Amino acid sequence: MRRDVEIGLLYSRTGDYAAIAAACRRGALNAVAAINADHGKGIRLRVTEQDPAGNLDHYEPLCADMLRDGRVRHVVGCVTSSSRKEVIPALEKAGGTLWYACPYEGFECSDRVIYTHACANQHLLPLLHWAFSRYGRRGHLVGSNYIWGWEMNRVAREVIGSAGGTVTGERHQALGDTDVARLIDELRAAKPDFVLNNLIGQSSRAFLEAMRVLRAEDPFFAEGTCTVLSCNLTECELPGFGAAAEGVIAAGPHFAGAPLWGAGRGAAAASSFEAAAYVAVATLAAIEEGPGDPAARLAGCGVDPETRHMELPVLIARVEGGRFRVLEHSGPVVADPYLARRERWPTARYPALRVVT
Amino acid sequence: MSRRIATPELGGATALILHRSHATTRALLRQLVAIGLRAQANWPELDAAVHGADFVFFDADQCHDGMFPWAPGAAPMPMIALIGSEAPGRIEWALGQGADAHLLKPIGAGGVYSALLIARQGFEARRAAADEIAALRARLSERQTVVRAVLALMGRGRSEAEAYAQLRAMAMAWQETIEQAARRICAAGETGAPTLATKRGRDV
Repeated sequence: MRRDVEIGLLYSRTGDYAAIAAACRRGALNAVAAINADHGKGIRLRVTEQDPAGNLDHYEPLCADMLRDGRVRHVVGCVTSSSRKEVIPALEKAGGTLWYACPYEGFECSDRVIYTHACANQHLLPLLHWAFSRYGRRGHLVGSNYIWGWEMNRVAREVIGSAGGTVTGERHQALGDTDVARLIDELRAAKPDFVLNNLIGQSSRAFLEAMRVLRAEDPFFAEGTCTVLSCNLTECELPGFGAAAEGVIAAGPHFAGAPLWGAGRGAAAASSFEAAAYVAVATLAAIEEGPGDPAARLAGCGVDPETRHMELPVLIARVEGGRFRVLEHSGPVVADPYLARRERWPTARYPALRVVT
Repeated sequence: MSRRIATPELGGATALILHRSHATTRALLRQLVAIGLRAQANWPELDAAVHGADFVFFDADQCHDGMFPWAPGAAPMPMIALIGSEAPGRIEWALGQGADAHLLKPIGAGGVYSALLIARQGFEARRAAADEIAALRARLSERQTVVRAVLALMGRGRSEAEAYAQLRAMAMAWQETIEQAARRICAAGETGAPTLATKRGRDV
């Protein structure tokens, strides 16, 4: 007789980031289907869903509602950092756990959250070091006026500075703002080695489209030069971005076709959002499944019991012909959400000295 | 330095909260009113009454420089940051605004009273230190004037020590600082007018 375990899904079906939420939701539901189809499992997952519709103020009451009668203790959900912050009080009150499956800027370790996607030492740091050795150390920073853009660019500025590089400029756009003319003018004047794009959604698409025009107009920016780097471009956006995304170099724990990690091993996913949500559900099922200390079981699935973040593969990939081609696959890298443990930074494994010939 | 905190007088003080309508805003208003303050929340524009407020609470997650009617760090009252994201960039920005204390979100049933006291103490200490630094800077910039005044007095046949002692005596007699007395002596030297007469003349 299999025991039923009820889990909650808290993803927005409409709103600015609905495509990302849909990918997470798909990954979670795929994992539920796989677990329920496996008759060797001692548990069966039942899904309760709520839709905050992209409205920040709906997350906390809907999450509290799911946790109310105590049947749901695991909620898989949230895309933005602000929505995650909103639900933490409800989780604390009810003793629930949020499984958060999106990349974020770090600087949080809630004991009510398990973080199954990457933080800065698992996406930004490896991406920048990859770029330094190939393109140079003069970087231009663009981002949205939101915690992701502000913090990613602040960390990037620090990393570029400590590597002896230069930040040629930094511009932040209002969320949803697609008027990127000023940003492109600054970029044209700055002539950097690479651009780190931390814009979100439609601003990102507008920027990449304007970059494409710039590449055709200005020989300095011709195809193959002044590469655009991203830690949040995934397969979710590729259909909507079209040719504008070609050539972007992105970092993440997964790209379509790569193997999943931890409890998700053996499964497939079409994007890192889908993958991280799949792994989240597979991990919570593994913990619910067996006896023994949940902390030890978490560690067995690759979750660091101190930070509650997951150790992750690091993939660097380039958009070619509308899909990502993986250029480098390394890891697993243990998360360092406060960027305080240098030994967890990918570059620390290599000697700091460079060979001079 | 020892601080004595008698039961501080906060009754009737005013607080403005710059945060969108939210459980955090409501919890904060409730605590402020319970303590005895007159409080109101504004978003996204601060009320024009902000200049007269005794305390300003602001959202460190979503506020930006343009929302305050003063330059960053130049708020004329204690500021308290409401922090959700602990990302260093946001902390740095809140400090740049001149946050004298902070509260971590979500805000529950406590913490506001201590934040008010810490912010006020910090703000007053910061302001006193800034005043003192300004006074010291002013005196430092008058060093050359003092040297010129001593040289002028030495020109009348006195040693440096005697000239300085006389300058000090004059400042005491005129009940002003040595720098002010030195400025007067230099001015008198340039116009040739007798120094004491200048002082008396100004007093009339």
